[in-house]
Order: sequence, then structure tokens, then C-alpha cells
Amino acid sequence: MELQKKLEILADSAKYDASCASSGSDRGGAGGTGAAHLSGVCHSWTADGRCISLLKILMTNECVYDCAYCVNRRTNDTPKAILTPDEIAGLTFEFYKRNYIEGLFLSSGVTVSPDRTMELMLEAVRKLRQVFRFNGYVHLKVIPGADQALIDQAGLWADRVSVNIELPTDKSLRLLAPGKTKATVLGPMSRLARKISDSKDERRSIKSSPAFAPAGQSTQLIIGATPETDREIIKLSEALYDKMRLKRVYYSAFVPIIKDSRLPALLDPPLLREHRLYQADWLLRFYGFTADELLDEKHPSLDLSFDPKTVWALNNLHLFPLEVNKASYEEILRAPGIGVTSAKRILRARRAAPLSLDDLKKLGVVMKRAIYFVTAGGKYGGLKKESEEAIKIKLLEHKNPNGQLDLFGEAALVKAGLTETVTGQI
Amino acid sequence: MSVTYTYDGSFEGFLTALALAVEKNLPDSAIVKEAAAEAGLFSEFIKAGSDPQKAAAARDLVESRGSAESWQHLRFAFLSEAPGAETAILEYVKLLAAKGPAADNMLADDRVKKVHGLSARVGGEAHRFKGFVRFKELADKTLYSKIEPDHNILPLLAPHFRARLGTFNWVIHDSRRNNAALYFKGKLVYAPLASARLLEDGKEAEVRELWKHFFKTAAIKERINPKLQRQNVPLKYRKNLTEFD
Repeated sequence: MELQKKLEILADSAKYDASCASSGSDRGGAGGTGAAHLSGVCHSWTADGRCISLLKILMTNECVYDCAYCVNRRTNDTPKAILTPDEIAGLTFEFYKRNYIEGLFLSSGVTVSPDRTMELMLEAVRKLRQVFRFNGYVHLKVIPGADQALIDQAGLWADRVSVNIELPTDKSLRLLAPGKTKATVLGPMSRLARKISDSKDERRSIKSSPAFAPAGQSTQLIIGATPETDREIIKLSEALYDKMRLKRVYYSAFVPIIKDSRLPALLDPPLLREHRLYQADWLLRFYGFTADELLDEKHPSLDLSFDPKTVWALNNLHLFPLEVNKASYEEILRAPGIGVTSAKRILRARRAAPLSLDDLKKLGVVMKRAIYFVTAGGKYGGLKKESEEAIKIKLLEHKNPNGQLDLFGEAALVKAGLTETVTGQI
Repeated sequence: MSVTYTYDGSFEGFLTALALAVEKNLPDSAIVKEAAAEAGLFSEFIKAGSDPQKAAAARDLVESRGSAESWQHLRFAFLSEAPGAETAILEYVKLLAAKGPAADNMLADDRVKKVHGLSARVGGEAHRFKGFVRFKELADKTLYSKIEPDHNILPLLAPHFRARLGTFNWVIHDSRRNNAALYFKGKLVYAPLASARLLEDGKEAEVRELWKHFFKTAAIKERINPKLQRQNVPLKYRKNLTEFD
């Protein structure tokens, strides 16, 4: 088979993996080609608006497993291809030196056995590192069920490693992925977590000791293929961040590419729900929220018409309005319309002079939302008698000037503004 | 009568004009390029020249009254080449001279906001181009890239590529400014370059096709979103991006 045809098949099968980041590593230095950029670099954006940072391919789309949701399942009758380690290393290098990409994202279906698959993937990356002396970014998927020694090697060659959970509960895994269990996924993940943290400790005292996956590990959850609630998903992510020290959890709206009686009949991928989950995820990682603050047993689903921070604020109106000249950074971060950047700017600017409502706008605060939740120098620009309902109505008016609540309109708006979450630079 | 300082277009010339203007500290002085200076009835023009000592003094002032951060904002804002950038920087530096390091905290002040804003635009475009530069391999194995950025970001891009493509010879050609960064045998130089005659390496077209195929395949058709794509890759940048050919 021609290289071009192979690449097409194997890029096509890899594209449903949402991970795209090339951040978190500063590999590089004397000799060799390439370096990683701590903040990551996006090189292009495809027609769906998602960023391309890495050459994201499968080594092969052959697979011994038959997971219902997966395009590469054994019983799916699509053309199969496999790239050799030489082809993978060569292609990565040719693309890299033309600055098409930051590096390689290598995943694979399971060919022959998990061990054999992992060995071939490692050989490709070893070639890239040792023969091509490539110092760019490598994200390597770990194949569940592969030998521990092989998993350990993955961490030595790669900047980032990942094991995809895909389905948020063991029950769903058993239903849709008969070859996998929670244990086969979480086993390697916790081993990687331990190795990453050990290597960090070691390198603090002995700088020359080898780095193990310096950009940490990530995972992916498929949204909408199984009945888990947003609360279950966000609680799981919280545990992964806290206990496994994951760098990122990606959420991938289920795209119904294959028909299966065990899968829901969806018309469109649930993009708005995916977007809300990313927002909630951001609140966990950068805004100091806990999962329980965002969703409880009575309200297990994220509101589709409001972002999760606004919902939280509306449920906690007794904490508002905040005086921006006095409130702490943590408090300010919790006001709708204020993000990490503008919160930091507020703290910095108020050291020079007290801030007015007009100043807030200049600092980049989204006033049409923040106005109900802040005062500046005692001045309040929101509603006289603020109530949850009154603010909700006002906020909806801003979103929809025609005065009608139209969820499809909202969905289009959100789709247009998906940048930060889907491209996920951080 | 207001005073306008004119300079030769170089950074050193600009810093010389800046030093002169701050020294005099007149209320509505301005700095413009000699080429852009328009004779006005109510303005006196002073040609600043280019004086390394004066330029160094300007830098000293910015770094000592402000900080390394202030200096970076100044440098980036100058590279923006935006109309009025030079006078905006002058206002900013006067504020630094008066208030010291606290000036950079005055984020809601228009003088600070203007220069910080220009600096952010330049930094943002430079970061974007770390991704958008596209090299092609020439017959002699030199990597060549043409770019047409809004701002003069070449000096910010070259060190990035030196760090990662140090084993190659390469050229980044800003065809909008007829200027190029040339990296040859481990040495980086900047030189005027109007047009370049290119002889591509034999393998080039093949690799380009592979990349275009990869790019096309990587989009998920159920999620097609041209608006979002345009937001991330504005149309103006696409003509030099291989995958949008």
C-alpha cells in the first residue's frame, strides 16, 4: 500500500481522539533537531475548528478488540493499514522540519497482542529519538494490558503519555468494551502516575536523572454513548486530577459513526454538552471549584443555557455582589464574566488605584455578565432588587436579543465560541 | 507650538528620539518616522538622528524606572509598526519616568493600556507564527519560508527556530517588509531580501501532498465549523500555509 493511502487510513482512525496539546515540556538543547515549547504551539486548524499540533496517527487500525463505540473495532469492515517504525519516524521528521507540526501523537489498535503493539510503537519512537535525534514533542498512548516494563519505557521516550478511559463507569465498559475493564485501564494509569511523580522528586535532587513523561499524562472520556450523568463524569475527572495528578481530561462528544444495538441512536454529537463539561473542567482546574459545588444529586446535569459558573453564582446570590477593590483573588475568580486573566489584572491594577466600573471594562471583564455580581467603589450597575429569576432573564436577553429562548441559537453561539476548550492549549 | 521628533525608522533611531523627547518633556510632543512626517503649520520638527549613547540612555531609563517587563512592552510595541505607536510609547515612558514601577500596574490607564495592548498583539502574532511558518526544502537542503505578518515579528521568530532547527540552514522571508532572517552554518543574520528564486528539492512536492492529505483527513465531518476555523486561522494568513493551497 502507498504511504499516502496508509496515512489517510491511519489519520482518519486517530482523529476521534480529542487530545491535541503539545504543552508541558521544555525538551531540547544541544545537538539534534527540535525542541518542545512549554506552552505548546498550534500549527493549524482543520475544517471542524480543532487544532493540529501533532501528527496524530495510529500505528495500525487493526484491532483484536471489538469495542462497540470504536471505529477500529474488529468487526468493522474498513480497510486496514499498518505503518512501520521507520515510516512513522521518517514521516514525523519530514513534517517537523517543515514546521507543519510540534511532534508526534502515536496511538494504535491492538495488533497481535498488547505487548507486541507496544513494542512496535516504542521502536518507532526510539528511532525518532536516537536515529533522527529528534527533540520535539511526543505523546504516546499506552496500550492497556501491555507489560509493565514496556509501559515504563514509554515514559522514558515520550513527553506525555495517556491511557484512555473512554467510558466513565465499569458497567459501561463491560457493556461496550468487552475486552477492557476498569482495572486494565486504571492499572497502567496509576503506575504511570507513580513513575511521573517519582521522577519529578528524583530530578529535584539529581538534575541529570532521566525525565519520565515530563508533560505528565492525560485521558479521554466519551460523552453521550452511555447514560452517565455530568455529575458522575465531573466527579471522575476531579478524582483523576486529585489522585492520579492528570494534566488533562479530554471530553469527546460521541460521533455515531457505526450502528450498534448497544449504542444510542444520536443524530448529532452532543457538542453543547461537551462544551459545558469543558467549562466545568476548567472551573475545577483553574478556578478552585469542587465537583460538589457545581452539581449535586438533585441536579446531576449541567445547565445547557447557562455556563456552570453563572449557574453556581445564581444559586449563591447571598455571596454577591463582590467589591472588586476588596475581595480576594479566589472570590473574584468566582464572579461570572471574570476569567483568570481579568482577575489577575484586577488584583494588579487595584494596587495602583481604586477601580471603578468603567475601569473593569478596560481590564477585559465581560461587564454584561459581571455587572450583576460586582460593585466597584460601592457602585452597583446591576438590578436594584436582584433575584435569581430577574438576573436570569437579563442574562438571557443579552444572549438572545429577540427575547426568545432558543436552544438551537444558543448551540450555534457556543459552537462558534468553542476555541479555548477544544483547542485546549493549556 | 508642539514638537515632533523624527527618526530614520531604525530601533536605535527611535530610542534616540525617545531620549530627546523625554529629556525635554514637553506636554504634546510626538515621534514619527522621517518618511511619515508631514509638514504642519503648528508643529516644529526635530530630526533625532541615531545615537547609540542616547539610545542606551533611553533603555536605562525604562529599565531603571520601570522593569524588564516595561522594556519588553516597549520593544514589542515598537515592532507593531502600528500608526501612532511611537508617540504612544513616548507617553508611556513619560509615565514610567514620573511614577516608577507602579506605572505598569495602572492597567486601566489609557497610556499603559495602549502600549501593553500593542505589545500583546505583537506577542500574540509572534506566537501564532511559531505555528504558521511553513518551510519548503530547496535543492541545496536549505529550508525556506515566506511570511507576511501584520507586525515586524521576524526578530521574535528567529531565536525560536534557531533553537529547534539549528542543524539545518534556513531562511524566513518577510516578503511584506522585504526582510529576511538567514541562518547559515550556525550563524543568524538579518538582511534585506526582495524576492527569492527557489529551486525545490525533488522530494518536496511529495511531502507536501502527504501533509495536505493528513490535514484534510483530520477534520471530523460531523463537527464542521468554518467560523471557528476562520477565528483560529484568519483568511489573511492562509496564502502562505501549505495546507490551504
